Amino acid sequence: MSSLEKRLAAEKRFKFYGMFAMTLSLFFVLILMYKIFSTGSGAFVRTTINADVYFDPNFIEVSSNSSKKEIMKASYVDLADQVINQNHPGLDEENFIKVREMYTRKFDYQLRDYIANNPNVIGKTVNLDISASSDLDQIVKGNYPRNVPEAQRKINDYQLSILDSLDSKGKMSKTFNFWFFTNGDSRDPETAGILGALMGSFYALLICFSFAFPIGLLASVYLEEFVKPGKITDIIEVNINNLAAVPSIVYGLLGLGMLIGVFGMPYQVPLVGGLVLGFMTLPTIIIASRASLRGVPPSIREGALAVGATKMQTVFHHVIPLSLPGTLTGTIIGMAQALGETAPLLLIGMVAFVMEIPGGAFDPATGLPSQIYLWSESAERGFLEKTSAGIMLLLSFLIIMNTVAVLVRRKLEVKW
Amino acid sequence: MVDQNSNYALQTSEVYVHYGKKMAINNVALNFPKNEVTSLIGPSGCGKSTFLRCLNRMNDVIDICNVKGKFLLNGNVDIYSPDIQVETLREKVGMVFQKPNPFPKTIYENVAYGPKIHGIASSQNELDEIVKDSLHRAGLYEEVKDRMDDIATGLSGGQQQRLCIARAIAIRPEIILMDEPCSALDPIATAKIEDLINELKENYTIIIVTHSMSQASRVSSKTAFFHLGNLVEYGETGKIFTKPDKEQTNDYITGRFG
Repeated sequence: MSSLEKRLAAEKRFKFYGMFAMTLSLFFVLILMYKIFSTGSGAFVRTTINADVYFDPNFIEVSSNSSKKEIMKASYVDLADQVINQNHPGLDEENFIKVREMYTRKFDYQLRDYIANNPNVIGKTVNLDISASSDLDQIVKGNYPRNVPEAQRKINDYQLSILDSLDSKGKMSKTFNFWFFTNGDSRDPETAGILGALMGSFYALLICFSFAFPIGLLASVYLEEFVKPGKITDIIEVNINNLAAVPSIVYGLLGLGMLIGVFGMPYQVPLVGGLVLGFMTLPTIIIASRASLRGVPPSIREGALAVGATKMQTVFHHVIPLSLPGTLTGTIIGMAQALGETAPLLLIGMVAFVMEIPGGAFDPATGLPSQIYLWSESAERGFLEKTSAGIMLLLSFLIIMNTVAVLVRRKLEVKW
Repeated sequence: MVDQNSNYALQTSEVYVHYGKKMAINNVALNFPKNEVTSLIGPSGCGKSTFLRCLNRMNDVIDICNVKGKFLLNGNVDIYSPDIQVETLREKVGMVFQKPNPFPKTIYENVAYGPKIHGIASSQNELDEIVKDSLHRAGLYEEVKDRMDDIATGLSGGQQQRLCIARAIAIRPEIILMDEPCSALDPIATAKIEDLINELKENYTIIIVTHSMSQASRVSSKTAFFHLGNLVEYGETGKIFTKPDKEQTNDYITGRFG
């Protein structure tokens, strides 16, 4: 074989290796996506049982004239039991418990919310879709096998027979699970939602941005435009680059030791989480901002100085506006990274069971990644699909943020 | 050489400039007569641009640059005195750079920026007038009057450079420094700028660094020839280009080196 043929063959082989590597990585991404979507899509659908609900005044502590607060405070456990008795007549005590287990434990809350929204319903009969319990839901979705011995099933034979009879009467149906988007966390998979974690992450990122962006911008402007380069700036520069590579758990320890330990800030609140994420994002922002400040041509600075602008006017009127697209891009990418960061949240306690949706940065909360972690730890099958659905949501936010970063750069970048 | 003769817009003597340890200007003394155009010529690296940038202290921003010497504005203002605010100096001594460097803002904002930061205009109307007048003097008004809100970087190179001249004169300087203002322009744009320089000298003292000897002879009445940081010869432009005293000057203008 001639030398040229050898070289061409080598090139062909190289192309093949490259294509193989690319295909393999794409394949893994596809498997990951398939797994997440096939597992997670179930979380967006909820099994419901159709029932005639008679809002019997005898079992309701409040009347249609009661205030919303009173309605929300009252107990509807008796009413829920009554509804089950009406729809499944002739149950003995043992079977009643079995049937009750087929409905969500939060049955009474569902009734309460319905009354709160329609107070006039008391004394009337309404046809409602009641959420099934998670175990029943999993059976209906086919995630739990039916054809195994009763002892290995979460749903016993009696419940299965009830399920089949309900199904044959057309009482079983599936509905879009908006609870996943409107509820906080719950012990019961069927009522657990992501909103609490979403708001927790939102407040944390808000704090992170308001802390890291101005400080990062000012630090980079000072380092790049005002301070004279020397030994000290060299040391600072090396340290900033090092800090950008420090594992996030170290920042979590910093938050735990300094913010909570020394400054006495509360545990598991987005304020602390946001500050810790801010520490983590700060070096990224400074590096991105300095790079984009350096990208502003010196001729612009000279032009402004030559008409008698002060150093500060030059920087604030001309240099910073021109460098802002780059700075913002770096900030958004840094925040996207912060959004997915789990370790710091674990250390500062944003990984506890929180039912309430946080109303601000000072309320206990979890974050998206720590909520996913929490659900993944749960034994119940119903949380598995929540985990994947949470990952889908997190990935969507990351994709959105990175897309915004690209758009900002494209849209605002000045062409020279 | 420094005297109180008020016919000079700017007088300099004993000027030394060092970049770190490297000498860039070696004992230069040069006076610039009012309302005349003075050309600084010489081969690349001879220090003519460095010298020009001393005149409005643009070298201040270069950390390693060390300027020594006497610089008197209007015979009495020492421009390197600690009492002098460099911003006020640059209000009096404007500058146009080698490469057109308009701000990436609108044409209007480019010209209005200087007057705005110095508070020259007391009302929006007055500012509009200053912008219009400056663009007029820079010979650009007719070309841009319908698109004052367009981004300036969309103008042609020659238009951008005239915009930079308008920006410089909008703050009503006494002296305009031009650092090879035509080196990035085509011959037609160059001719326009040269015409403009001829008009501007009525009102301003102009000091221009140029590589083109024909340009120096066309626009300036006085010419200074620099070589290796030294001022070799200074005199009437006509004389420098026809009967220079020094052989070095003669060699340069006849193209034997440089």
